[in-house]
Amino acid sequence: MNCEVCQLKELEVESFEIREVLRCILHTIVFHRALGLIRPKDIDLELFEITYVQCGEIEVEKKIDEKIDQFISWIEKHPNKKSQICLSFYEVKSKQPSWFTNKIERLYWEQWYINLNVLQPTKSPVGKSHHSKLVMDPGEASEERSSRRTLLEQSLQDVLFQIIKFVNEKKDHVPPINDGVIYCPFEITIPSSSDSAFGMDMFKRILHSGHPSMLG
Amino acid sequence: MSSSHNRSNNNNSEGAKAEQIIFEFFAKSLHIILESRTPFMSSRNFSGDQMICSPSSSSSSSSSVRPRDKWFNLALRECPAALESFDIGRRSSLEPLVVDVVLVVRPLVGDQMNLSAKRELIRNFSEKEYQSGWNSDQDELGCETKNEQIIERWVVQYDNRKIRESVTTSSRRSSSSNKLQLMYKKATLLLRSLFVMVRLLPAYKIFRELNSSGQIFKFKLVPRVPSIVEPFTRREEAEMQKFSFTPVETICGRLCLSVLYRSLSDVSCEHSTPMSPTFITDYVGSPLADPLKRFPSLPLSYGSPPLLPFQRRHSWSFDRHKASPPSVSCSPSPTRSDSHALVSHPCTRHLPPHPSEIPTGRRKESYPEEYSAYQDFSPPLSPSAPIQAVPRGITRTESAPVRIPAPTFQSKQNIVAPNPHLKLSRHASLKPVRNFGPGESGPAVDKLFLYGRDDFRKHSGVRPSSNSSPGISFSRSSSRSFQEDFDDPDFPCPFDVEYDDITDRSSRPGSFDHRGDMHEPLESSGSFPKKSQDAAVGALVKMLKKAPPLRQDVSESSIPEICWNNNNKPARAQEIAVASITASGLALTSKTTADALEELRSYKEMKNHLLLSQSTSNPSSVTTSPFDV
Repeated sequence: MNCEVCQLKELEVESFEIREVLRCILHTIVFHRALGLIRPKDIDLELFEITYVQCGEIEVEKKIDEKIDQFISWIEKHPNKKSQICLSFYEVKSKQPSWFTNKIERLYWEQWYINLNVLQPTKSPVGKSHHSKLVMDPGEASEERSSRRTLLEQSLQDVLFQIIKFVNEKKDHVPPINDGVIYCPFEITIPSSSDSAFGMDMFKRILHSGHPSMLG
Repeated sequence: MSSSHNRSNNNNSEGAKAEQIIFEFFAKSLHIILESRTPFMSSRNFSGDQMICSPSSSSSSSSSVRPRDKWFNLALRECPAALESFDIGRRSSLEPLVVDVVLVVRPLVGDQMNLSAKRELIRNFSEKEYQSGWNSDQDELGCETKNEQIIERWVVQYDNRKIRESVTTSSRRSSSSNKLQLMYKKATLLLRSLFVMVRLLPAYKIFRELNSSGQIFKFKLVPRVPSIVEPFTRREEAEMQKFSFTPVETICGRLCLSVLYRSLSDVSCEHSTPMSPTFITDYVGSPLADPLKRFPSLPLSYGSPPLLPFQRRHSWSFDRHKASPPSVSCSPSPTRSDSHALVSHPCTRHLPPHPSEIPTGRRKESYPEEYSAYQDFSPPLSPSAPIQAVPRGITRTESAPVRIPAPTFQSKQNIVAPNPHLKLSRHASLKPVRNFGPGESGPAVDKLFLYGRDDFRKHSGVRPSSNSSPGISFSRSSSRSFQEDFDDPDFPCPFDVEYDDITDRSSRPGSFDHRGDMHEPLESSGSFPKKSQDAAVGALVKMLKKAPPLRQDVSESSIPEICWNNNNKPARAQEIAVASITASGLALTSKTTADALEELRSYKEMKNHLLLSQSTSNPSSVTTSPFDV
């Protein structure tokens, strides 16, 4: 099984936009990989005129939100950085028990790289980025800001299209639909406390999956 | 032998399965598209936290899994439209399924808005901003040729021609059951993409707007599954963007799904502005809208259609200003009405439509479609209703998210004298007009245009000039043209009412005034016997008020009338009234609004005086009032 990788277009976001942008992208991807019986849930973004779809699984939502929280807190400590979030789908296979390991093996079959360029917050404190709407003072909304917002909205839309295109073009690598499995297992990797740790994390994962091709 | 037989059986069953998958794929695609394009029917309300739809349907769909939901593991909201338009019996899987998402602009409502705007303009002729707003509307309106535009065309197709060979070769590698699974998985993936895609396209923004707010819009989204697909012209196609989903290979063909859609600038920029609340202000307590309120009460209180003008005028003047007793306000003078407009008319009320609200562009002329079978378009148009009244009724009804029963339409039908021309065009307008090409229009549509739009277009040139002068002459010429175009002597009075309502009598040109004014007094005089004394006096006062415009000599002549009335000799009042009307018709004065207000004040005093004297006068002499003569 080969691992398909999709590098999504980089988005320039302000810290308060991170949550919405990430939710939108991550849920859209997971929705495409939730091949069990789902009840889609439409979510309108608050900052952008975009509607994305969730697969309606609470666990998924929780998991994504947790990771976003972690990412945001990481961003607060490391402002003004380009960062990458990786969403990986895998299959679980129990490894042959041996003296070395009897762990469950994760076979990664798809990876999505979300690239964010978090801009320095201009007015609002970064710490309150969760509640962007409250932080945003409409009176201060300058023309520049709104045009930037429009640009970001367009870019986000482009990213969503990119996801759709990728999903459409690459179908063969997707594991067959298993009864009772609502969504393909996935993990979200964010940069940890240091970049090297992030690299380490990636390295570990590669070791686990045993697919050096993932490095690309 | 037996093995080959089994194989063929397997092939048959697999073929049937594949066929079923294909069929379900069609159905699901259609469902996804319709669900996201038919307002109030989306999975937006699926979770039940935003219940726009009926709670029952939502809860049922969220609690149980219907068999159809299992297909492609995608539980969708119940969408009857999808099932209705997907005719299982007739469709062949080889036939492409086309879903057009049509943006329909409600033209008559728009025209009504223009009418209203025009009236507003007349009322507020001192306010330049309204004038400019109207003019630009007019320009836009003048360009408008269609009111319908296909903003999306989805094509679901099963293509079994080209792929056959490659599929058969590849099918040798994997077992056919695996192939079915693969096909099913890919179809599932494709439908997931479709589900996301429909929400990314510009049309969804329109859908979202339509769905999320309680406001009324001048446009709607109508998904259609045409049996005969009109191909786009090259130009149209060039204007649209295309997205083709990667086809799903099946055992003997492939499933294709593509969409042609208009870009954001084409769609949303043009149509997003009507979401302004200006629309709503039109019906909330607006004197312009209020006349409808009184329709049901009309037959009860007076039973005389000719009194309609009085009644309607009274309705809002009384409702809004409780001070005036009904008997008096039964016959408020036009001057008084105008003063209401000038004094109490707030700037915010019923702004003329913003230029961008007026539909333009490549929309097809299909008023009829407009009215046919649109779910939240409940009240049928009264065929005989005057053009002024009907669209206002629509506005009212549509304005609320919940359907408002509109008994007014019934009663209005009874009241208003039927106008065969209007009736014809209204009836005709209910016919589907898909046959009419973009450039052409059927006779019904033409007729509709005749008074609905073309008239405005015709007069668009007139407007600016008429606006620069008090802006009155246009309204007259326009209304005249309505009359002339229809050439209908029995044309119902509401037109007169409307224009009477809106026009400052002091500045009416004679041509139209002559007709209009002759009309009303006669009607009112005819109904005098049915009225109370107070009403009779009121009517007389009205006549008197109407008769003299701002001319001193004429207004002086009205004073004797009052005296006569006081002396219980109103028999001649009608004559005088008619005479003075003629005078007023010819009176082309150039008095200012202030003069008019001043005069109004004096009339009010006169009226009060008259009423006082009426109440103190000998009752017997009042009852023997010679109105009946």
